[in-house]
Amino acid sequence: MTRAAISLRGALLTSLAALLVACGGGGGSGGGVTPPPPPPVTISRAEAAAFLRQSSFGPTSSEIDRVISQGYAGWIDQQISQTDSLQAPVLRALPAAPTQDDRVDVWFRHAVQGPDQLRLRVAFALSQILVVSERSALNQFPVGLAVYYDTLTQNAFGNFRELMEQVALSPAMGVYLSHLGNQKPNTALNIRPDENFAREMMQLFTIGLVELNPDGTVRRDAQNQPIPTYDQATIENFARIYTGWMFAGSPTFFQPSFNFDQPMQAFETFHDTGAKTLLRGTLLPAGQTARADLEAALDNLFAHPNVAPFISKQLIQRLTVSNPSPAYVGRVAARFENNGIGVRGDLAAVVRAILLDGEARTPAADAPGKLMEPLMRLTSVWRAFDGRAASGRYRLNNADIIVGQGPLRSPSVFNFYRPDYAPPGEMRAAGLVSPEMEIANEATVAYMANLLAFATFAGNSSAANPAPDDILIDITSEQQIAGNAAQLVDRVADKLLGGAISTALRNEAIAMAERSPANATAVRVAEVIHTIVTSPEYVVQR
Amino acid sequence: MNNRTLDRRDFLGLAAAGIGAGALALAPAEEARAAPFTDYRALVCVFLFGGNDSFNMVVPRSLAEYNAYARSRQNLAIARDALLPIDPLTSDGAQYGLHPSMTALAPLFASGQFGIVANVGPLVQPVTRDQVLSRSVPLPPQLFSHNDQQGQWQTLAGRLPLTTGWAGRAADEIAADTTAQRLPVNVTLAGTTSFQIGANAVPYAIGNDGSPAYFVLTNPQAAFAAERRAMFERLLAARSPSPIGRSFSAVQTRSLALADAVNGALAQAPTLRTTFPQSQLGAQLAAVARMISVRDRLAMQRQVFFVAIGGFDTHDSQNTLQPGLLGDVSSSLAAFQSGLTELGIADSVVTFTQSDFGRTLTSNGDGTDHAWGGHQLVLGNPVRGRQIYGRMPSLEINSADDIGGGRIVPTLSADQYAATLLRWFGLTPAQIAASAPNLANFSVRDLQFVS
Repeated sequence: MTRAAISLRGALLTSLAALLVACGGGGGSGGGVTPPPPPPVTISRAEAAAFLRQSSFGPTSSEIDRVISQGYAGWIDQQISQTDSLQAPVLRALPAAPTQDDRVDVWFRHAVQGPDQLRLRVAFALSQILVVSERSALNQFPVGLAVYYDTLTQNAFGNFRELMEQVALSPAMGVYLSHLGNQKPNTALNIRPDENFAREMMQLFTIGLVELNPDGTVRRDAQNQPIPTYDQATIENFARIYTGWMFAGSPTFFQPSFNFDQPMQAFETFHDTGAKTLLRGTLLPAGQTARADLEAALDNLFAHPNVAPFISKQLIQRLTVSNPSPAYVGRVAARFENNGIGVRGDLAAVVRAILLDGEARTPAADAPGKLMEPLMRLTSVWRAFDGRAASGRYRLNNADIIVGQGPLRSPSVFNFYRPDYAPPGEMRAAGLVSPEMEIANEATVAYMANLLAFATFAGNSSAANPAPDDILIDITSEQQIAGNAAQLVDRVADKLLGGAISTALRNEAIAMAERSPANATAVRVAEVIHTIVTSPEYVVQR
Repeated sequence: MNNRTLDRRDFLGLAAAGIGAGALALAPAEEARAAPFTDYRALVCVFLFGGNDSFNMVVPRSLAEYNAYARSRQNLAIARDALLPIDPLTSDGAQYGLHPSMTALAPLFASGQFGIVANVGPLVQPVTRDQVLSRSVPLPPQLFSHNDQQGQWQTLAGRLPLTTGWAGRAADEIAADTTAQRLPVNVTLAGTTSFQIGANAVPYAIGNDGSPAYFVLTNPQAAFAAERRAMFERLLAARSPSPIGRSFSAVQTRSLALADAVNGALAQAPTLRTTFPQSQLGAQLAAVARMISVRDRLAMQRQVFFVAIGGFDTHDSQNTLQPGLLGDVSSSLAAFQSGLTELGIADSVVTFTQSDFGRTLTSNGDGTDHAWGGHQLVLGNPVRGRQIYGRMPSLEINSADDIGGGRIVPTLSADQYAATLLRWFGLTPAQIAASAPNLANFSVRDLQFVS
């Protein structure tokens, strides 16, 4: 981490010094350009861009066009029909043994270039709820992590109950939360089943710690206290359910095959076949197989009324807003309960409800919105200006971790931030949360500003002699109009935000561009992009 | 000892940073008055994320007690002859040793710089096993859950609706006495946690190399750096319609405003001969040592640093993982203590551990699960070292200390632990009570492990 930071900073220093020292001068003629008249459709470019900031890894001009022509619901339907961008096949096709950097590289390639943006965005949201992480024993298994991520991608519009099962039987999850190799009790040796997965499956993946109302608010007892959803005894019963599972194709329970491609396989000898008590008093009879016990346990968890509001609210927070009203959570949770044709847990219906809700589409002028996640700040620039390297790779030297977030690189199963993180000061006093602010501290925001400075000033198509792995945004079309700073700013603002920038930000960007001579077109473009993407206005998606 | 005063360059560096509203909130100038603190003191919290299995960190060596431990721990037990013997000044009748990986730290026990606080954990009030099992007294909510119990250690909330942390509240309490400081009392090398958030106090985050400089805004060689910075600051100062935008702007403003001061000071830091381990924890503690070495340049008198190491959630492969984890803690803490001695400031710094919870005495085959009470380490010249504070619990399954499965009920509270540290830090009893809100439920308010 430290070494990467230093090398990144070194690279910034040399590249920027070389680039910027050369560009003295200033002045240049201003000149406003009247923005194009709004197209004769009901969705404006700004509205389409706001929608894409919630439903993709960042707007592009062509995607904005598509949203406008297809409408929100039509765009969602078209996205759902797209083929999945999967990671594991790409990694397996590499000539050398894949590394974690290769996996992250593929993640970025899909995020920046993948046609199935909504699916990938929902998969990324799910990866922050159903967390596994490279920062564990999984460090050695990049393809195993890719297979897990692909499970999330393939089930992003599937049924949550099916996703629960695939996650529970995933070898990556089995390694991460240690139910792989978990065995029945041995009282003589004081050995009892591992409680890790049993606990986090409830606390983080399905129902949470306390009972919820259908709108996600906390239920309270007569003494006004929250009501726990389970206790230690419940965990111990579920821990006994999740016994007897090992990598598929292992010769014995103690000779792991390390097959991450198939679901885990039951070894019945090591499964606890005693009777178990599940949530809300449900009894499981003795003598069932590992699979039968698992199915029953997942049914029991899935049936809990917390699942709909618990999962719905977190998906809302990952996609649209940090502080959904209870009514918004309730509307989405109702779609989780019933997709309209009687199916419970249909994630496609849930995602539609989240994105089409009035609270996401027409927020109040002073609505808090959501802070862009660090990775979105990078992908958004690269998507808007087609950032890519000649090698096709996205090599960040772990810079993604330095800014607080990397794909499947959470520090723990509790994700990069908690859903209820309340920044100190005004927000905490007002009872508002901003999960992403938990990792926006004085150090990470500076690293991010430097990354964005690098990505705009150094990492653009005017760079001389770029290395094969240098990620370059394509600013050639912007350079054509850079002599007119106002026109340039409007073009950039259109690509990033559908034109939705404040007059103050627009004027600052124009002034910054005009400090360089009109023929210093690359610097002018970089100044404008840099000004907008590092502004606090841009970083809040609303 | 570095007694250089602030130089003009530093001052101008800060002034040129255009301290905005965010920075002013940290140190309201109108409140400035002569600080009553006449010395420098720092607390360094080392958080062991995941729940350290401290019953394998401090282990009985005397035969009867060791056998009880080994019966409970089975294949997770450390071999008796591998333990590093420690020899407390006061004996409870048993003998103890440290985990074999802790060779770097063990000598500091003998030299009196490090002590052990036994079986401490979050509590609302003193509680026995029977009271826990009969649910007859209030307990902290959501025992055994990682984030809840991390939160309990950091906030000392107990059953109170409290979201601020004890170092944050302590910083609030001494806010009027620390207005001359150029940085907040709380500095973190390991992210934002409730520990350092007060009603007004906010932690300041730096990286292991200091505060990241904004090259295109501050590098004098970059064309238009000053103009770009002015633009950047105007946009930060504009009031966002969104409270999230305002919250973000406050952090970015503080980041930019303080980077010059911090890095200007760090540029003058003496080069330490002490070498630190090449681990995250080692790098964080090296950064803390460097920050402490420039305390006078930043006019610091009271500081709480937060560093952390993860990976202690050893449900799996505990025998493989624990030596690396505890070895890192041991060598990083020992290096830190050497660095402080080299800087001549070791009399003014106390380092202490916190962790989510202790772990089950019983095994799940090759690891342990979430439990409650556990041992913590306290380190520094002010520490009354070579002692075990509190009572070592029985390590028998189903003993009077076991609430089930070898989950040990704490005999000391995190409030008592924090209060002892804050008393040394210079807080008054009233200020300590405000920082450790459940302390009033305990008759012993100072565990005496700091002089």
